[in-house]
Amino acid sequence: MNIGAARPSANSPAGFERRLEAELVTVVAERRAARPAAVPAAWVPPGHAERAAARLLRSPGLARALVTTPSLLLPWLIATTVILAAGAVATPGTGQPLVALLAPAVAAAGIAYAYGPGVDPAWELSRSMAVSDRLVLLVRALAVFGLDAALGLAASAASGAASGAAAAVTFGWLVPMTALCALALAVSAVTRSASAGMAAGLGCWAVTVLSARVADGRLTTVVSDPNLIVPYLAFAMCCAAVAMYATRIPRGA
Amino acid sequence: MNIEITDVTRRFGRTQAVAGVSLDAGPGVLGLLGPNGAGKTSLLRMLATVIPPTTGALRLLGRDPRGYTPRREIRRRLGYLPQNLGYYPGFTVTEFVEYFALLKEMPAAAVPAAVAAAIERVDLGGKARAKLRTLSGGMLRRVGIAQAIVNQPDLLLLDEPTAGLDPEQRVAFRALLRDLGQTATVIVSTHLVEDVGAACTQVAVMDAGRIVFHGTPAELTERGEGTDAAGDAPLERGYSAVLAAARASLRASA
Repeated sequence: MNIGAARPSANSPAGFERRLEAELVTVVAERRAARPAAVPAAWVPPGHAERAAARLLRSPGLARALVTTPSLLLPWLIATTVILAAGAVATPGTGQPLVALLAPAVAAAGIAYAYGPGVDPAWELSRSMAVSDRLVLLVRALAVFGLDAALGLAASAASGAASGAAAAVTFGWLVPMTALCALALAVSAVTRSASAGMAAGLGCWAVTVLSARVADGRLTTVVSDPNLIVPYLAFAMCCAAVAMYATRIPRGA
Repeated sequence: MNIEITDVTRRFGRTQAVAGVSLDAGPGVLGLLGPNGAGKTSLLRMLATVIPPTTGALRLLGRDPRGYTPRREIRRRLGYLPQNLGYYPGFTVTEFVEYFALLKEMPAAAVPAAVAAAIERVDLGGKARAKLRTLSGGMLRRVGIAQAIVNQPDLLLLDEPTAGLDPEQRVAFRALLRDLGQTATVIVSTHLVEDVGAACTQVAVMDAGRIVFHGTPAELTERGEGTDAAGDAPLERGYSAVLAAARASLRASA
């Protein structure tokens, strides 16, 4: 039907549309009146973790985004814990710092899957929200990094108790982990694909470790050479800058 | 005016999606009609502050969305239903609507009641606990509408909102639109001319990135009178006549 149209005759198409619309409105009203009272929305109060995050971040929206981060969900946390625990258990037997070698890769994968474009199905909608998608990214990435670092520290301490070098190993892998996480973040932001970010992080780490092994015959060089700390940090800063650029408000072509 | 658009353009590489649109809109329901590729979705995405214009000026709810603070204020009072609504399969209807209510920075205490009301308004009260993966396409569309209206927006942008809705739901939705248009500026992009006729107080027709008609549905209908424009209903004939005239004008000027 056409609001404001010249008065149509009963047999004209517009008249037919008007009668059809009126009939539909009547049917809808009758059906609604006959329907029992609707079930109230199933609202579940936020859990302890979300309430604590809301207080800490001063934003219930950010807190909800945080607790729904894909790589902070229980299955992912269990997988991370199992991998690092396996590394801790195997370290004394192999004589290799497996936790130090695994932790950066695990964290990089987690960071890649913390972010939106390639992972978040409602990314378009998220970009129109008052809580900035960049802020959501930052909070999620920091949370994943912090949690993985804590798990890595625990695993490192457990394995280091046997080798007696917990502190050295810890400081050895935290810096490369930062660099690798920044790379994963940058690639996932640029390519809009979490899988690409994870592949870049894991691939880069594998190449780095194997290159060091070929160069001096030791796997541990990449997590024990103090001379690498500055290059790692410089690389991390470059990747962070790329991630910032990739998540800016686009200016259009 | 809630929307003031002045000579806005938007390019994607070599493609000119929006080619100089100027439009003002206050409270009411504005239907945005046009063929595929006319630039409707790009225009709505700019109004939703998802993408900025390439050139031109945009003021939404009296604010310039280029600045962070005004953009955030606009987004608090904005409702947006994208053409392709992505959703989280493991969320329930309530969780999904609540998630976006929180991201719109609604006061936390007001969220549960607002979520319940929005879900009821789209007639999904009985599905509030259902996981999104279990819903039909039409129901998912209604979930999208619920998240768009949960904050009682002053500016509501709906891209193909009736796609997948059954006739009963479409009639109910048109009533909802008319209701929302009493206080808010509602822009509805659609291919369905009958939706425009039934629910919109204003209509704009886009073609090739430009607005080629802006007026009331009655005025659009008049454009089709006395012409041999295609269409089964008067408004459809008006739409066809406007498009034909715009394309003839474009050819003549080329």
